[in-house]
Amino acid sequence: MKTWALVVDTWREAFARYTLLGFAAVSTLFLLILTFALNLDIVNGTLAAGSLFGRAFEMRHRTPEIETVVTSALSIFAGMLYVLGVFLSVFATGSQVPNLQHRGTVDLYLSRPIARVHLLLGRFVGAVTLVGANLLFLCGGVFLVLSLKTRVWNPRFLVAAALILVVFLSYLGFMYLIGVLTSSTPLSIMLPYALYVLSLPLAAHDRIAAAMDSRLGAGAIHALYWILPKTPEIGRDLTGFVLGKLAPSALPIVTTGAFGAVCLAAALVLFSRKNF
Amino acid sequence: MSRPDPAIAVTALVKEFRTARRRLRALDGVDLEVGRGEVFGLLGANGAGKTTLVKILLGLARPTSGAVRVRGCDPRRAAARARVGYLPEGHRFPGYLRADAALRLFGRLAGLPEGALDRRIPELLELVGLADRGHDRVGRYSKGMTQRLGLACALLDEPEVLFLDEPTDGVDPVGRRHIRDILLATRGEGTTIFINSHLLSEVERTCDRVAILHHGRVVRQGSVDDLTHPTQRFSVRLGGGEFPPDARLRELGAAVASRNGSYELDVPDLETLNRVVDLLRAERLLIAEVSPVRAALEDVFVAAVEAEEREPAPGPAAHAVGGAP
Repeated sequence: MKTWALVVDTWREAFARYTLLGFAAVSTLFLLILTFALNLDIVNGTLAAGSLFGRAFEMRHRTPEIETVVTSALSIFAGMLYVLGVFLSVFATGSQVPNLQHRGTVDLYLSRPIARVHLLLGRFVGAVTLVGANLLFLCGGVFLVLSLKTRVWNPRFLVAAALILVVFLSYLGFMYLIGVLTSSTPLSIMLPYALYVLSLPLAAHDRIAAAMDSRLGAGAIHALYWILPKTPEIGRDLTGFVLGKLAPSALPIVTTGAFGAVCLAAALVLFSRKNF
Repeated sequence: MSRPDPAIAVTALVKEFRTARRRLRALDGVDLEVGRGEVFGLLGANGAGKTTLVKILLGLARPTSGAVRVRGCDPRRAAARARVGYLPEGHRFPGYLRADAALRLFGRLAGLPEGALDRRIPELLELVGLADRGHDRVGRYSKGMTQRLGLACALLDEPEVLFLDEPTDGVDPVGRRHIRDILLATRGEGTTIFINSHLLSEVERTCDRVAILHHGRVVRQGSVDDLTHPTQRFSVRLGGGEFPPDARLRELGAAVASRNGSYELDVPDLETLNRVVDLLRAERLLIAEVSPVRAALEDVFVAAVEAEEREPAPGPAAHAVGGAP
C-alpha cells in the first residue's frame, strides 16, 4: 500500500508538472510523423517507391527487399530512440529527489511510519514505471507503425525498449545520488547529461590510454571506463542486434547496471543518515 | 506501584551542527519528560533549538548524544512513528495535490486502510473547516488554510502523540480559536500534545506544562499555574468615583496605577490590601472587583531569558561552540 501510494504520487507529480505530458507529446509527435509523413509502396516484397513529407526517396534504380529496408530503418530508429529515450527520461525524472527534499515537504513524508529506504525506493519504482510506460509507448508505437505499414515484424526491436530502460535505470541511480547530495534539480539533470557525454570518448579508452605519456593518466582512463556507464557500447550492440547480429554482450550491460546500483545504494545510505 | 512510562522522554540530549568553519550546539543537555495525555508547551525565542528538538523527537534529525524516547521507542525506527502526528513549521504540501488527495497520500503512508481513509478524510476536512475546499489544489490555498490542512494531516491516524510546530502561525484570530478548540478536543481524547511556539498567549491558554528553552538549554519548566504564580499585585475595579490620592495610599504602604479603567494596586501583604479596602469603603467608594494579578507567561519567559543572559548556567559551551582549527 505504501509503495503503491508513492508510485501514484510520482505519476501525479509528473502529470502536474507536465513532464508526463511533455514526454507523451514528443513520443506522439514522433509516431504521428512516422504514421502520416512516411509512405512506402511495397511491390512483391520489395520497396518500389517511398516518400517522407511528400518528398520521394532516391531509389537509384534499385528495388531493395522490404525486409532489409525495415530492419535497417528499425536499427536507425533504435539508435535514435536510445539517445532520445535516455535524454527525455532523465529530464522527466530529474526533479524527483530535490522536490522530495524541499524543506517543509520532506518533514511531512518522513514523519510518517515509513522507513527512509522504503520512501526513496518507492519513488524510484514510481520513476521506473513512469519511464517504462513511456518507453513502451514510444518504442512499441514505432514497432507497430512500421510493422503494420510493411507487414515485416522484427521483434528484436522491442529489446531496444528494455535496453534503454536498463541504461536509464543506471542514470536514475546516479540522479538519486546527486539529488540526495545536492537537493538541486539543475544538477540532477545536468550531471547525468555530462556523464552521458563523458562516456562517449571513453569507448575508445584503449586508444586514449595508449596515446598518454603518463601511466597514471592511462590507468585513470581505464578505471573511468570500467566504472562509468558504457552508453556507446550498449547503443552499438543494440543497433547491431536489431540488424540481426549477435545478442548484446553482457559486460557493458552488467557494469552499467552495477554503476547505477552502487549509486542508488549510496543514495539510500546517505538519505537514511541525513539530518532534515 | 510503578509510574507509567512518559509519552516523551528526553535525557541529556545534545545536538551539534558542524560546518567547515565552526560547530554550533543547538541543544545542550536537554532533559524533559511529558506525561501521557498532557499538553506540553516548548517556548523559546527564534533559534533557541525548539524545532531541532522536535525533529529529533520525530527521527528527522539524529542526536549527537543523549537519548530520546517517544512512547518508549526510539523515534528513528519507522514503526515508532505510527500514531504520532506532526504539523511541521512552514510545511509545504506538494502543490499539485488536492487537499483530499494529500490526506489520502499521507494516510496511505501511515498505513491506514482505504476504508478508514474514506471515512476519516471528509471528517477531518469538516473538522478543520475545509469541507467545501477539499477538491481544490493545495497550491491555491492561503497560509491559514494550509495550516489547517496540516493539522488535519497530523490528526489522520488518530495520534497518541501530536507534535505541533507553531500551529497557529499565519492563522487569523478566528482560525486560531478554532485550532485551539480542536486541540482541546483532541486532548480530551487522551492525546499527548507537544506544542512548539513563541506565541506565549496561545501556549498559556492551551498547555498544562511548559518548558523554556534558551540557547539549547531548558532554563525553566513547570506547570503553567506554577510559573504564572500570583503576584503581590491586585486589580481593583470601582463601581464609580476615583481612587484616593497616592499620598494616602503610600501612608498605608501601597502604590496604585491606573490601567484601562481599573487600578492596579501593589501591596506588600494581604494586611495592607485590607487596609486599602477599608480606606475605599470609608471614602464610600463602591468596590466592584478585587482580583489578584498573575504573572503573564510572557513576563515569566522574559524574566527567565534575561536571568539566563545575565548569569548563564554553568556547563560546557555557549550556543556556538569553538571554531575550526
